[in-house]
Amino acid sequence: MVAVTAPVGRGACRFRDQPAPERYDLGLLMRSVPSAPLVGPFAERLLVLDFPALPPERRRAAIEFTFRRIDGLPSVMRLGVTIIAALVRAALVLPRRDLVVRGLAATTLPLLGEYVRLLRSLGYAYVFETWPDTRADGSSGAGSAP
Amino acid sequence: MSPSSRPPSSTGGTGGTGGSAARPSGLIPHDAHLRCDVLVIGSGAGGATTAAELAEAGFDVLVVEEGPWVDQDAVVPFSLEQMDRQYRSGGVTVALGMPSIAYTEGRCAGGGTEVNSGLYFRPPLDVVEQWRHDFRIDGLDLDELGAIADEVERTIHVTTVPGSPTPASEILRRGAAALGWRHSEIPRWMRYPPGGDAVTGRRQSMTRTYLPRAFAAGARMLVDTRVDRLTTMGSVVNADVTYGDGTGRTPAGLIAARHVFVCGGAIQTPALLQRSGMRRHIGATLAVHPTVKLTAAFDDEINVPDDVPVHQVKEFAPDLSFGGSASHAGLVALALSDEWGTFAAAIEQWRRMSIYYAAITSEGRGRVVALPGLRDPLVTYHLTGRDRHLLRSGLARLALLMLESGANEVYPSFRGAPVVRNRRDLATMQHRFRASRAGVMTVHLCSTVPLGEHGGRCGADSFGQVGGTERIFVNDASLLPTAPGVNPQATVMAFAIRNARHFADTHRPGSTAPRSTT
Repeated sequence: MVAVTAPVGRGACRFRDQPAPERYDLGLLMRSVPSAPLVGPFAERLLVLDFPALPPERRRAAIEFTFRRIDGLPSVMRLGVTIIAALVRAALVLPRRDLVVRGLAATTLPLLGEYVRLLRSLGYAYVFETWPDTRADGSSGAGSAP
Repeated sequence: MSPSSRPPSSTGGTGGTGGSAARPSGLIPHDAHLRCDVLVIGSGAGGATTAAELAEAGFDVLVVEEGPWVDQDAVVPFSLEQMDRQYRSGGVTVALGMPSIAYTEGRCAGGGTEVNSGLYFRPPLDVVEQWRHDFRIDGLDLDELGAIADEVERTIHVTTVPGSPTPASEILRRGAAALGWRHSEIPRWMRYPPGGDAVTGRRQSMTRTYLPRAFAAGARMLVDTRVDRLTTMGSVVNADVTYGDGTGRTPAGLIAARHVFVCGGAIQTPALLQRSGMRRHIGATLAVHPTVKLTAAFDDEINVPDDVPVHQVKEFAPDLSFGGSASHAGLVALALSDEWGTFAAAIEQWRRMSIYYAAITSEGRGRVVALPGLRDPLVTYHLTGRDRHLLRSGLARLALLMLESGANEVYPSFRGAPVVRNRRDLATMQHRFRASRAGVMTVHLCSTVPLGEHGGRCGADSFGQVGGTERIFVNDASLLPTAPGVNPQATVMAFAIRNARHFADTHRPGSTAPRSTT
């Protein structure tokens, strides 16, 4: 670290000629871990459950949007979501997977419920903002583009 | 590593203007080393007004904004695209608790003033008087604050809508009138074209008002620039900055300033101060206006996708206020999602629906904590029993108001909610309501660095100077000692201008020392 003299405004002052500031490495590390492998399977089954007639390409687009938003979450949320998503992902290897998904979708447990609410919020908002005439079962409404 | 030769792009990113047709005159390229008299961190209601006041007083002002410059015409209001470009983390930010409270922060030139509803409330002088007493705020002259509010109202063009309000707004007025509840149209900081109607206004946000004023007086501005830490070295404060969106190996820089005004909002301001080693009464008293919402369905198509109602109901203020939210189809689906199994069919009628909220003044408090190794702070909030009771009664009264206004069906946003069609259903709704099951949210965040001379409560002095520092000031919603019970933006602006003028009166441009005040 080298101290140098340099002008500030109309006067003069000293400031450090220092290396790049410390990066918040854990936060950057979390951002470098893509959410898709952990979040994707459950997010897709949740959308299938809620919107059985949603065309697959719309479902894929909604899930891609969900990934993007989760990848951009603030550090603490991202850390929490990653941990919960990993647990949920592990639960999906259990037998009778559909029952597991239904159980998770209806849960009111504090953190798990928040995770389900987050995925639903993102998916629903994307589907209905992008295709406002989508029907309640996910099918394309009259006049809406495929 | 100097990106100084790279000019700002026109599409966001480094130094981006995010689709603006003309690049604002004050934007400068990123540089490894920059210097100024006064560094203003944040460009929202607090930062932009501070920058304009100090630049006009002759100070060499540099404004740093973490987000991009996005012209208002470049995005659809309240859309997902706007959230992507102008909100922190795409609008997905949460204060953890039971329940967690979703909140949003503007992250763009102009901050929250670019993305909010533009509704204007003068500083509530009874609340300000209470602050003066409880927090021992010196030199707080209510007449001066009122005069500043008058100036602000002229600058940002506070006005009511021309002609009739939108149908979604009229619903609030009609329901309140039927119940004999106090209500009014809230003016907005808008300009309407000749012959325009309620939805043709252009928001007079900071990028259209105070930032251009600051530029005209010589202020410079960096966008897409995050301040990681402040370090005081003798008579200079160094700001370590990173350029870009912070998601990769972004270039770093150093800004040396004689004084720094931190105006990053009630979450980012305490987080930056804590990262810089300042923790005494910083971030421990977050105050918000928690809200719960419902969706009401009517016979006619009343939905206005890209605007908000201008009427509010204040019969139970300051404890409870009712208003309307943006209600495009995606947001209606979001509001119905907590009880989708029961409510799903309603989404097909979204054009006949609109979203309304009940906001409370909360006795609860939250915390903002910068954690080592994490880029973003941990935010928590705790609702009290009284808060939960108010949320329940607020939602019930709001549902009643909707029924009185002619709603066929009301869909409250909490898990286990019934469809409300009559007063009998209201009792069922109240019985089933639990705050922990509700989608509680807020957009008003305050009070993380309260101002005043009360040593046991205040993180900054009566004019925003951070305790234990000589050159670091706060000048945003963090300073407000409590949540004021109304949209706080006008109060933030009035306090910011007051504090900036006090600074200009007591410091000389280019000087290292304060002027004597005696």
